[in-house]
Amino acid sequence: MGQMGRDDHEAIRAVLSGEKDAYGELVMRHSRTLFRVAYRITGNEADADEVVQDAFLRGYRSLEGFESRSNFGTWIYRIAVRCALDKVAGRKRQEESRIGDEDDREQCEIQVADSTAGPDRLLLSREIAAIQQAAMHSLTPTERSAFVLRHMEDRTTEEIGAALGIRPNAAKQAVFRAVQKLRRRLAPLRATT
Amino acid sequence: MKHLTEEEMIEGAYGEGTRDAGMHLQECAACSRSFAELRSDLSDLDRMEPPERADAYGTHVWRAIESSLTAYAPRRRTWFNIGLMRGLSYAAACALLVGGAFYAGMHWEHWTQKPATAQIGQPKPKQPIVLVVLGDHLDRSERLLVELKHVDAENEAMMPPLRDEARSLLEANHVCRKKAEESGDTELKSALDRLDHLLTEMANQPGGLDAAAIERLKHEMNSDGLLFEVRVLRSRARDREPARGSQLNGGAEL
Repeated sequence: MGQMGRDDHEAIRAVLSGEKDAYGELVMRHSRTLFRVAYRITGNEADADEVVQDAFLRGYRSLEGFESRSNFGTWIYRIAVRCALDKVAGRKRQEESRIGDEDDREQCEIQVADSTAGPDRLLLSREIAAIQQAAMHSLTPTERSAFVLRHMEDRTTEEIGAALGIRPNAAKQAVFRAVQKLRRRLAPLRATT
Repeated sequence: MKHLTEEEMIEGAYGEGTRDAGMHLQECAACSRSFAELRSDLSDLDRMEPPERADAYGTHVWRAIESSLTAYAPRRRTWFNIGLMRGLSYAAACALLVGGAFYAGMHWEHWTQKPATAQIGQPKPKQPIVLVVLGDHLDRSERLLVELKHVDAENEAMMPPLRDEARSLLEANHVCRKKAEESGDTELKSALDRLDHLLTEMANQPGGLDAAAIERLKHEMNSDGLLFEVRVLRSRARDREPARGSQLNGGAEL
């Protein structure tokens, strides 16, 4: 595979000149970052792996439209956020189509945590994780993505807006709504922790 | 004392709070307590860490997608550059036309100042749009909308030229909108506003235009009858536009 030392822009020029393998350098350089944000948004390892691959595929196909003055890392990160958002939205639609099962499923997640044997602390920790997961699940895809980008990825309101394709004020409101919902869902934990 | 809202506290927790809010937190015990609870709730959520991925993860991803990618042909790069140059030259030509027309318009105003002052008491004529520039702009916009309407959304090679053309039209559209607003032409202003929205979407779609974006833009364009309206306005501009030579020599129709 070509020269690993070249920077992103050189690699992009090489790809557009027909050197497909140069894209591998970009994939290797940015995969773990994309996996991190994809996992945080989808909350699922397999989905996150799919999102990473999908983002790089979309990125490759759109590479001619990449502005040379932009940063490839930021550009592909935004694509990955969009892919993750699509993934969560698709999953949400599927779940809504069988909405009757929803409560049972959440209940089941929490019960699994309850039934795990082990020290009290471990049990409590698992229970908290399950409740948090359910709380994150209650957010809309946009709220969830905005919250992840703000809270876990330390992105500014403007960056969140750009990544999600919404105005900064809408991004800020999405974060507010997400935090309010999460706090309501997690309020029972305050008594136990 | 006015307490902080939850929104203000959330802003503060993420370092985007105002100075006043920060000072209030120092003075108000109730808000300070609520803020501490919020910080505690948020810090609990930090436990959600993604699983580790080995250094070889990138290689694994590359192997998974490599076979799905077709190498870019070198000529496509050349074509891309030509597309870019074409976009830039459109923008430059447009800017030249707009500048020339404004200059001509200023002189026209100057030359016609005396007759105008003789008509004191009569309603002030509407500030005009430079019809030649507007006609050209609407022509190009119509062509772009027709291309958008008929483009094969699956054909990725068609996306960069559409996006480039949208970008080059945006600047002229801003100028025309401004002039429409100044001249009180609300119908034109409204159409150019909607055109602006569509062009912005086409020009700045994150990740570039893809099939889904194209379908959505087609739907937006069709649902508000933008193409039809642009055609009507173009036809109106053409009817009002005098012969091009005299227009450019004598200034715009004002």
